[in-house]
Amino acid sequence: MGIDQQGLLARLIRELVRLPGIGQKTAQRLAFHILKTEPEEALRLAEAIRAVKEGLAFCRQCHNIAEGDLCEFCLDPKRDRSKILVVEEPSTLYAIERSGGFRGLYHVLLGSLSPLDGIGPSDIRAEDLVNRLKDGGIQEVILATSPTIEGEATAIYLTKLMKPYGVRVTRIAYGIPVGMDLEYADEVTLIKSIEGRRDL
Amino acid sequence: MPLLKTPAITLKSLKWGEADRIVTFYTIRFGKVRGVARGARRMKSRFGSALEPFVHCDLNLFEKHNDPLYRVTQADIRETFPRLREDLAVMSGAARMVNLVAAVTAEGDPAPRIFQTLLGGLRSLQDGGDPGLTTLLFQLKLLGQTGFRPQTDHCVACGASSPHLRRNGAAQFLPASGGLVCATCASRHPDRCLSLSPGSLAFIQQALRMTASVANRLKATGRVRAELEAAVECYVTVVAGKRLPPVDFLAAERREPAYGIGTFS
Repeated sequence: MGIDQQGLLARLIRELVRLPGIGQKTAQRLAFHILKTEPEEALRLAEAIRAVKEGLAFCRQCHNIAEGDLCEFCLDPKRDRSKILVVEEPSTLYAIERSGGFRGLYHVLLGSLSPLDGIGPSDIRAEDLVNRLKDGGIQEVILATSPTIEGEATAIYLTKLMKPYGVRVTRIAYGIPVGMDLEYADEVTLIKSIEGRRDL
Repeated sequence: MPLLKTPAITLKSLKWGEADRIVTFYTIRFGKVRGVARGARRMKSRFGSALEPFVHCDLNLFEKHNDPLYRVTQADIRETFPRLREDLAVMSGAARMVNLVAAVTAEGDPAPRIFQTLLGGLRSLQDGGDPGLTTLLFQLKLLGQTGFRPQTDHCVACGASSPHLRRNGAAQFLPASGGLVCATCASRHPDRCLSLSPGSLAFIQQALRMTASVANRLKATGRVRAELEAAVECYVTVVAGKRLPPVDFLAAERREPAYGIGTFS
């Protein structure tokens, strides 16, 4: 006999299956794990999900995830306020922050342009980036969009949009990942890395 | 569970799971196919840029029993068309080409002529020229090759011959029927017909008759261009059964936001 499809356990499984990368079997395993754990532990998970949805919003300035009006990076007085690094999603911002290689401010577009899917400029936070440039004080904007068709389209569009404001617009470098053997690199990456070579 | 090899052009790819991609290809040997490329989004993926849209590659696929998705095991680049990644107008044209091929072809139905037309279209965009016009010609050519050739010889509703097809010099194109209609039939659907001037009509007839290399010499500007773009756009929507992403994607309408949170007010 299977799980009662109208029951509480089936409801939990149905909700878990909606999560990315979770199939029916994994959802069932997680549901039984939640069932076995102490009530406080399971409720802590439910409370954490509720708190995220109710307590987080987008930063008014950079559109990163924030617990107040401004995010932790916009509030930090030690950050270099003359540089803005533009990313597509908050997850990319945290990957760059983990590297420790950038100490300026961020701007999150919350998406990218896509000629293939018809996603245009009104779907991303590009105008807000221009408004930040109008406020003054920004000397360089670094475009850290992905090296995909969508990322390239976004970078080309933003470059045109920001040109009239006289700021330096740069693009993160293309190239060979550290630790990779050159002979296995594809043609596009190799050409881009040769084009983007620098003096030593 | 055989290993299949074929030249292919990547139509589109979408993120799947932790680091995978589901990629749609148009191949010479198997027509449109979809495959899973495991680990394609990882930094050190063996696929590199071979699975990016518009790339012409040699594809190795592994067919799994009872699974409509192939497993992509290898993709070696043949042509990358760098201009298609550097200019938004060219990129938009290429996007329309692959979107139209994806919309009007069925999976597993090989048609080498469609593959060659798509490859020729992408090469034309790469070689320069007017991307809007190249895209327009490609769409007319592909519609002709897939059984949706716009009918310009007689009325698609009643079969009346060409002398009856013009009213005050202009012909009436009915996208829902895929061709010209005579004055009598046009009066029954006045809101659904598009007027085509003699220049626009001649352009369509020449584009359908000529080979791709010769058709590239055709020119259309001003009113003729606007009429052609409107007629092809409406007809493509009818053929595809849905509105394809606009060629001018920069003017696309706003969509629903992806995140379920807003800003603090």
